[in-house]
Amino acid sequence: MNKSLMIAKYEFLKTVKRKEFILMTLGFPLFFILIMLVPLLLAGTSSPEDLNLGYIDKTNSFEFPDEITVRGSMIFSNEIPGVTNNQELDGTNNEKYPIIKFTQYSDVASAKQDLGSGTLSGYLIIPEDYIKTGIVESYVIGKLTDIPKKELSELMVNNLLKDKVDEETLQRVKDPITFKQFSVETTGEVSEKGLSDLLEDFALPYLTGILLLISIFTSSGYLLQSVAEEKESRIIEILLSSVTPIEMLTGKIVGLGSVGLLQIAIWLSVGFAGLIYVFALSINPFLLILSLAYFILGFLLFASMMGAVGAISGSMRESQQLIPIFTFPAIAPIFFMQVLITEPEGTLSMFFSMFPLTSPVAMLIRMGVSDVPLYQIAVSLIILMVSVYFVIIISARLFRVGLLMYGKRPAIGEIIRYMKTG
Amino acid sequence: MIILELENVSKSYSNKKIIDNISFSVDQGEIFGLLGPNGAGKTTTLRMMLDIIKPESGNIKVFGKDLDPNSKDRIGYLPEERGLYKKSKVIELLVYLAQLKGMTKIRAMENTVNLLQSVEMLELKDKKIEELSKGMQQKIQFIATIIHGPDLIVVDEPFSGLDPVNTQIIKNIILEQKKCGKTIILSTHMMEQAEAMCDRILMINKGMIVLNGKVGDIKNEHRNNSIFLEFEGDLNSIEGLDQIENIIRHGTHIEIFLKDGHDVQSLIEDIVTRVRILRIERSTPSLNEIFIKIVKGVSS
Repeated sequence: MNKSLMIAKYEFLKTVKRKEFILMTLGFPLFFILIMLVPLLLAGTSSPEDLNLGYIDKTNSFEFPDEITVRGSMIFSNEIPGVTNNQELDGTNNEKYPIIKFTQYSDVASAKQDLGSGTLSGYLIIPEDYIKTGIVESYVIGKLTDIPKKELSELMVNNLLKDKVDEETLQRVKDPITFKQFSVETTGEVSEKGLSDLLEDFALPYLTGILLLISIFTSSGYLLQSVAEEKESRIIEILLSSVTPIEMLTGKIVGLGSVGLLQIAIWLSVGFAGLIYVFALSINPFLLILSLAYFILGFLLFASMMGAVGAISGSMRESQQLIPIFTFPAIAPIFFMQVLITEPEGTLSMFFSMFPLTSPVAMLIRMGVSDVPLYQIAVSLIILMVSVYFVIIISARLFRVGLLMYGKRPAIGEIIRYMKTG
Repeated sequence: MIILELENVSKSYSNKKIIDNISFSVDQGEIFGLLGPNGAGKTTTLRMMLDIIKPESGNIKVFGKDLDPNSKDRIGYLPEERGLYKKSKVIELLVYLAQLKGMTKIRAMENTVNLLQSVEMLELKDKKIEELSKGMQQKIQFIATIIHGPDLIVVDEPFSGLDPVNTQIIKNIILEQKKCGKTIILSTHMMEQAEAMCDRILMINKGMIVLNGKVGDIKNEHRNNSIFLEFEGDLNSIEGLDQIENIIRHGTHIEIFLKDGHDVQSLIEDIVTRVRILRIERSTPSLNEIFIKIVKGVSS
């Protein structure tokens, strides 16, 4: 067997048996599922508390019901005509939803007193100039008690428009827009965009991009660690008497790259299986192949840089301090996500999707939000490939001279000299 | 047959000459000592032999040709700075290192078991390296050096950190390998070991060769023209002899230095007739003394 392959196999097996790897690979999807489930569970078990609100209406034009049930965005109440259209839904799970009770007061003093004695959770004052300003004052004890704004707003609208407009208009005022999206193809064909289409177009590349980033980082991090460990434990010289530094670097990159591929394959299959199951999505094979290409190239780029860093720095700790130099530019697309999504054809987005350190993630995100021309994808891949080629050559030089240097880290000038000459 | 040959090899680091134009060769089946004080350039020389670093100028031939991957597989190297994967199991690590030297897995496994048995460590084969004592780890490192049955064994300070028992075990393995016709290059600054084991030595200091040859020849060459003598009788009766240059008293015995051109043999004949001899010995310097003398001489 080829020596590089032997090293690759050894590194692969060594890494996948590591506790950190197993924890990360299996734990990450679990963590994700938990994050999605916990709010649902929490929402089901501990609903917000019931409130007992007093109110003083200085405009003398509002009339609140005795109590309302807060149920998502809808209010159920028998008191006001026109809000009873959803009543048939009421009572199904009524006891689970918090109730707000309203009591009208004529003066502030008695409301304040009841708040002090604990009868009230808080009280509201609707000032005389409410119509002009829209201000409603709320008084609560201590820190802010969560008074549901949406429900109150609906109550106000109900009151303001009562008897002035018909029932349908009232409902429309409360919920004026529901978007229904259509996408017009270049052929002129119009198709309706459903939720699953949006997810497919946006969420998949986005998700893939993020996972790609994490996976590239973890596996190239393993590479850094493995080189630094060999240097620190001084096994390096024994290895170098059997293999060349290039064979070693290649073996490590292949071995640990496979670890990364395995990891991202597990993540994506869990993620996609979930999405396919829940939203009945179909996966675009082109996107999948492209993700793979970006992963492999992105990994090669980062891994060979990490290899050089590991070889040059004197210890594990020192090398870890150097990582941010590489991770920071790589994370940049995530920081500028807003720009990438809103202006996918803008200069910055364009730059990120071409610059080799950011292109794997940025391009996938761009593809999610717009139709990136094929030639741009090709250009970004070519730039990436060329950079990988040069970075590997330079890293291999640094790797060779760096491995046997102990003690002092070489100065920048020396590093540059090694880059040129090896 | 010449196994290894260096020709006008030089190497410098940041403009400082570490190895300055050295040439020597090592024959098959000998134990060749590479000696010198710390920082003399021993390790650099070894690394160049193994193609771990490249010489700046000069030629290095191993097994009669330029170093290639195949000949690298026929060399076993125990570096001075050595360590192992702490988390790996003994047997897995040894088999892996043997495979990196081009062995098949089955052969590697066989050799590992045999060698572990020979140092009585077979029962530790499934232990992790970090669970072993330092001495045991060193033995494992030594096994790793010869696991693939190399024709040329290069060991750099193999005895450092070993207790006398383990030193003896390693020494015996080295001598055993020599018996099998293997060539051994032993780099050390422990002169007693070198003197006891080596057929030939090369001493370097500050990157240059200061001694090169058979141990016996070197010692003869550096012998003072003197004898040690312990006797009963009158010292004055000896002092009068005209071939004597000088006499130094060392407590129970004296050291007699001869004038140039005179032979120890005839001196002894003269002394025998004058005093009663208890002990007589030609003074032969140890390698250690030669080493110190040369290193001091060069630096002064």
